[in-house]
Amino acid sequence: MNERGGAPLLSMRQISKRFGAVEALSGVDFEVRAHEVVALVGDNGAGKSTLARMVSGVLQPDAGIIEIEGQQVSISSPSVAHEMRIATVFQDLALADNLDVTANLFLGHELRENGMLQDGRMEQITRDVLAKLASRIPSVRTPLSALSAGQRQSVAIARTLIGDPRLVVLDEPTAALSAVQTAEVLTHIERLRDLGLGVILISHNMTDVRAVSDRIEVLRHGRNNGSFDASRTSFEEILAAITGATHVEPGLRSVG
Amino acid sequence: MSNKATAGSQSSLREANRTLVLHTVQRWGGLTQVELAAATGLSTATVSNIVREMYAAGLVDTAVTTRSGRRAQLVTLARRLGLAVGVHLGSRHLRIVLGDFGHSVIAEQSLPLPRDHRMDASLDRVALLVADMLERVGASVTDVVGVGIGVPAPVDAATGMISVGGVMRGWDDTHLGQTLAKRVGCPVAVDNEANLGALAESTLGASRNHRDSAFVLASHAIGAGLVIDGKPHRGYAGLAGEIGHVQVDPQGLICSCGNRGCLDTIVGADALLEAVRPIRGALSLRDVVLLAKEGDQGCSRLVADAGAQIGAVVANLCMVMNPEVVVVGGELAESGDVFLGPMRTAITRRMVVNRIAPLEVVPAALGTRAEVMGALLLALQAAEVPAMGDVDNEESAS
Repeated sequence: MNERGGAPLLSMRQISKRFGAVEALSGVDFEVRAHEVVALVGDNGAGKSTLARMVSGVLQPDAGIIEIEGQQVSISSPSVAHEMRIATVFQDLALADNLDVTANLFLGHELRENGMLQDGRMEQITRDVLAKLASRIPSVRTPLSALSAGQRQSVAIARTLIGDPRLVVLDEPTAALSAVQTAEVLTHIERLRDLGLGVILISHNMTDVRAVSDRIEVLRHGRNNGSFDASRTSFEEILAAITGATHVEPGLRSVG
Repeated sequence: MSNKATAGSQSSLREANRTLVLHTVQRWGGLTQVELAAATGLSTATVSNIVREMYAAGLVDTAVTTRSGRRAQLVTLARRLGLAVGVHLGSRHLRIVLGDFGHSVIAEQSLPLPRDHRMDASLDRVALLVADMLERVGASVTDVVGVGIGVPAPVDAATGMISVGGVMRGWDDTHLGQTLAKRVGCPVAVDNEANLGALAESTLGASRNHRDSAFVLASHAIGAGLVIDGKPHRGYAGLAGEIGHVQVDPQGLICSCGNRGCLDTIVGADALLEAVRPIRGALSLRDVVLLAKEGDQGCSRLVADAGAQIGAVVANLCMVMNPEVVVVGGELAESGDVFLGPMRTAITRRMVVNRIAPLEVVPAALGTRAEVMGALLLALQAAEVPAMGDVDNEESAS
């Protein structure tokens, strides 16, 4: 559980990033502990995805320090992120439609022995992972093209569990899903937390965010604008921080 | 194939396959025959034969649907005389089940909810989820005989409104039954969550063989449902069994109900989580229960003390109504004897020992599903059983 003391799983300090004339992030602090779901919320263009892409190794900060369990690191590419046991589910899921569920889970990390693919073991692990997430996918041999949007989202989340991650980044996992599918994904997020992982959740839906997160970090125009304990904060306080009705001075940030 | 094949194995294999298919359909709610074959590992021909047999035996229903643009045969569990929906709209969780008159659950779904969730957003979610779940089992709203919904507040059975102000923030002035009925398009019955737990446990669960029982719901808030002479006792305004609002500390905190030092202000989730915050940081109630189960000292102590505190109030309730059994449900009861032990001790120590039968304190047989199963039972009880003709129409239409 998120015990006090000890180095956080991920700590980002004074992160800045500029795209040409646009200052996407400026002096942002961000922290995730094990067994914690941290939501990253803010208006369009607030810098949520930019920050998440730095965690998953797609972008590099212009300035700032990233630490993983107290060690300063540079997440220079997605494969480096994978080695650091950071898994990401991107907004567009990045799944291969023509392959089945098992092949998608192991894409690029197939299990081999003496050069031979170990299909049986991969299928078994896939079944285990899907069961762990209480996922509703009847067969691991179904091609992705035959699955519903919600089932594809479960596959994308299940894929993050291959390779024993400690941090999972979810970018808008419930956008464009039906009610039942949203319920499944939120249940998955609870499971990931129960498994002791740190989760970064980016979402526009305040109901979903408040339902599953422990802490809510608000970004506004590329700056921190409040850190809220999800169990003690109302909709209004968070919305006020997102829209800028309340402004949190740097240095006066309440630490949840 | 094993070399032990004997003359009887053919039929036992077939029996095993039938069971496998039935369990698979039950688990997923509704599957096409192709999906069934993939999920069970049986050949499509075997699945097709088994489905035909089970359809003839009245165990499953089939309907034509499409998957990836192709025609497919959707297989669902057979429903007797329509469906009912049970909804448990708890403090932090929403649970929904679809079931039939045989009390068998056809589909089930849960969803985490935010603290102080809003009435309009939550009822909307319920309506959307119900519609989605019906679609998944190949049914429509016309198949639904009614919806039962349980909420964490006392409910006036006559009007379906929350009868005490302030307990659920922003929900006070709503006619819950009517609002939801308008959204889902069928009759809705409303009751308190603990009353529904009592209904389910006394019909299907741990107290089904007892005439007089009390169900204690130890969750984010504490409540109780009473069953007297085999019937749920709700009280004049639905306030019966609201033990969460019994005063235990005259100098305590002010409660959401407006009184002071209620049991909820001492052992409700807010109070418990506040007590561990200095050493463990922000935990959820589920974290506390899991940690207590794992033997974490602080959390075990917290849960045990809560059990004793609740037991003291339940003892008074038992002196008033003299039940044969106290059934304990809710999230706190999931921690097992860590919670139940001190609660049992606190109750029995305060009770007058009678020579007829000692009071039993047992965990809920239905676990945390007791409330939602009670909501399903409420919907079934409130519904008028449709005439047999309706079932025929439905089949000829499909």
